[in-house]
Amino acid sequence: MKRRIAVAATLAATLLGAAACGSDSDSGGAPNANASVNGAGKTIKVWLMVDAQSGWPEVVKQANDRFTAATGAQVQVDYQQWTDHLAKLDTTLAGNDVPDVVELGNTEMPKYVFNGAFAPLEKSQFENSAQWLTGLSAPCELDGKTYCVPYYAGARVLLYRTDLFDKAGLAAPKTYDELVNAAKVLKEKNGSDKQFSAFYMPGKYWYAAMAWVHGNGGVIAKKDGDKWAGALSEPGAQAGLTKWAELAKTYSSGDPTKDENDQDAVYAQGKSGMLYGNGWELGAVQEQPKDPNNPASPKVKTKVNGKVATAPLPGIPSFLGGSDVAVTAKSPNADLAAKWAQIFTDAKSQEGLIAKGVLPNATSLLDKAAAVKGNEATALAAKETWFVPMAPKWSDVESANVLQNMLVSIATGKATVPDAAKDADAKINEILNAA
Amino acid sequence: MSVVDSPSAPPAQQPSASAPADGRARRRRRSATSGGFAPLALTLPAMLLLAGLLGYPLVRMVVLSFQSLGLRQLFGNLAPDNVGFANYVKIFTNETFYQVVGRTVAFTVVSVLLTLLLGLGVALLMRRVAPSVKIAMIVAMMFVWAMPQLVATQTFRWLVDSDFGVLNYLIDLLPGVDFANHSWFADPIQGWSVITSIVVWAGIPFIAITLNAGLTQVPKELLEAAVVDGASAWQTLRSITLPILKPLLIIVTTLSVIWNFGLFTQVWGVRNGRPEEEYQVLATWAYSTAFNNNNYGLGSAIAVVTVVLLLGVMAFYMRQMFRIGDVD
Repeated sequence: MKRRIAVAATLAATLLGAAACGSDSDSGGAPNANASVNGAGKTIKVWLMVDAQSGWPEVVKQANDRFTAATGAQVQVDYQQWTDHLAKLDTTLAGNDVPDVVELGNTEMPKYVFNGAFAPLEKSQFENSAQWLTGLSAPCELDGKTYCVPYYAGARVLLYRTDLFDKAGLAAPKTYDELVNAAKVLKEKNGSDKQFSAFYMPGKYWYAAMAWVHGNGGVIAKKDGDKWAGALSEPGAQAGLTKWAELAKTYSSGDPTKDENDQDAVYAQGKSGMLYGNGWELGAVQEQPKDPNNPASPKVKTKVNGKVATAPLPGIPSFLGGSDVAVTAKSPNADLAAKWAQIFTDAKSQEGLIAKGVLPNATSLLDKAAAVKGNEATALAAKETWFVPMAPKWSDVESANVLQNMLVSIATGKATVPDAAKDADAKINEILNAA
Repeated sequence: MSVVDSPSAPPAQQPSASAPADGRARRRRRSATSGGFAPLALTLPAMLLLAGLLGYPLVRMVVLSFQSLGLRQLFGNLAPDNVGFANYVKIFTNETFYQVVGRTVAFTVVSVLLTLLLGLGVALLMRRVAPSVKIAMIVAMMFVWAMPQLVATQTFRWLVDSDFGVLNYLIDLLPGVDFANHSWFADPIQGWSVITSIVVWAGIPFIAITLNAGLTQVPKELLEAAVVDGASAWQTLRSITLPILKPLLIIVTTLSVIWNFGLFTQVWGVRNGRPEEEYQVLATWAYSTAFNNNNYGLGSAIAVVTVVLLLGVMAFYMRQMFRIGDVD
C-alpha cells in the first residue's frame, strides 16, 4: 500500500512536471499569452517609442509591475526615436539577438507583417479585441491571422489661441470657411510681426495635407484590380491640396521644408494663432521639460500656458495615427512577450493612456476618452478618420518621402499643385507596384 | 658604393677590409632579392586587419550588388536571389543616377577648390604672422580638426535653423532685410552653400597645416633673390612657391577629392536623415536605397559604381605617391 502511494505520488509529480515543461515550450504554434510561464530569471526586451517615455511613463511602469508579478520575469524597455527606429529594427531582426516585443506606427506595420517579422497572435486573448479601431487593427491582419495588437491612437484636431481669438472677436470655427476667415482676421491684426503665423503649417506635414485631400473627396491611391494607382491628380485631391497650400503659403510663416516635429516648440513661442496637432500636443505646447535633453525633468509653463484650446477641424477628417505592438517571430520568449503585450494593451493600461489625453485602442472606450477634459475634440475626431492605402509597400512610399517632397515643392512655390501631384502619382505607382 | 659597383673585387688584396665588404655585398644582394620572411611577417597583422575590416565587406558588397535582397530574405534567413546585372541596368537607365553623379562631381569640384584656396591662403598667412599669432591659429585649427563631423553638422544646422537659428536673427537685424523664419534649405543653392561651408570649414586645417609644412621647403635664399630682382608677391607665389609645392598640392588635392566625393554625414545631418532629391549625392543615395527602401542589392550596386568612379582618382594618387618616393 505504502509502495503504491509512493509510486502514484512519483507518477503524479512527473506528470505535473512534464505538463509545466510543456506549457513552457515556445517553439511551434502561435505564442500563447495565456500560458502559465515561469519567467523567473528571464528578461524580455521591449522596444517602445519615445512618446511613451515622455508622455505616459506611469502606464509603462504599471504594466511592467503587473507583468513581473504575474510571471516573475523582468522587463527591459528600450526607447526608440522615430527617425531611425526602422533601420535599426531591420538590422536587428536580420540577426539573432532580437527584441521580444516591438512597437511600430500603424502605417509602418504592413511592411513588416508582410515580410514575416512578427509571430501570429491569438486575437481572442486580448481585451476588447472585438472593438479594436480599424485604423489600428487593419495593418495587423494578413491571410486571416493577426500579427500585432493595437496600442493607442491619436486623432488630430485644431489647436487655437483663445486669447488671440477673443481679442479678434472670433469663436472656434464651425465650418471650413470660418476657419479661413479666422486665419485672415488673425493675419490682419497681427501681421506686423513678421514671425507671426495665423495658422502654423510646416511644409512637410503630410498627415495634415492628406487630411485636406480626404476632406475634399480625394484619396492618395486606389487599387485597380491587382495594381495600385496614385490618385492625387484627381479633382477631389487637387481641391484638397490647393486649400492646404493656401494655408501653408499665405497664412503660415513656418519653414516650408520642415516637418511637424518642431511645431510644438514653435507654437509655444507664442507667435502662432492656430495649429493642427494631436490631442496630447495641447499639453506639450503649454508645458515643456525644463531640461530639453531630459524628458523626465520637471515641467515649466510656456508663454501660451492657459491660452490654448482644442476643437475639431471643421470639414477635415482626422488621420487615425497610432501604434501597434507585436511579438517578433524570432523571439526566444514568445509566450512571455505575448503576455506582456496582453497586459500592456488591456483595459487597465488603456485607462492610464486615456487620462493622458491619448485615444484608446477600442471604440468601446472612446466615450470614456471623450469624458476626459480637453479630450472631447480628439475623441470626436476619432469617429471620422481616414487611413493610408493598405498596400504592403506603403511604408516604402513613406520612407521615399514622396508625399513630403511633393508638399515641399508646393509650399516653396517650386511646382504648381497639378504638376507636383502628377510627379508624386508617378512615383507612387512605381513604388507600390514594384515587384 | 664600391661594394655594389664591384662585387668581384679580389678578396686577396685587402682581406680584412674587403672580406666584411664582400659579406655586406652578399647580405645586401640577398635582402634586395629574396628578403626573407621578415617584411611579410611584419606586415601580416596589418594585412589581416585590412582584409577583415575592409576586404571582406567589400567582397560581400560586390557579391550583393549582383543579387536581390529584401526584408523577406533577411527576416526569414533565406538566401538572396541572383539577378546578374539587373541592378546595374536599373541604375544606368535611371535618370536620377546621372543627376546624382552630376551633383556629386559639382560639389566635389567646388568644395575642393574652395578648401585649397582658403587653405593655401591660411598657410601663407601663417608664414608671415608673429609666432604667438601663429600658435593661436594652429590651436584654433586643431580644435576645428578635432571636432567630429556629426557634431559640427548639428551645430551648423542650429545656426541656420529657420525658427530658432542665430544667423537668421542676426541678418534680420539689418535694416530693410526680412530674414525671420527664412528657410536655408528651401532653395537648393542656399542649402548647398550651407553644406559646402561646413565641409570647407572642416577641411581647411588639414590643408593649411600640411601646406605650411610644405612651405618650409621653399628656400629662403630663392625668395630673397626674387625680391631683390624686383618680383611682386604674386609673381613670387606663382613662379617659385607653387612649383615647389606642386607635388604636395597634388597629393592634398587628390585626398580632398576622394574624401569629398564620399560626402555623407553633412548632408544626412543637415536634412535630418531624409534628404530631398536635390540634396542626394552618391553616398546618401546608396544608403537611402539600401536602408530606407530596403533594396540592399541596388544600394550595393550604387556603392560599387561610386568606388569604380573613384578608382581613376585613386590610381592617380598612388602614382603620385610612388613618384615622391622615387625623388627621395
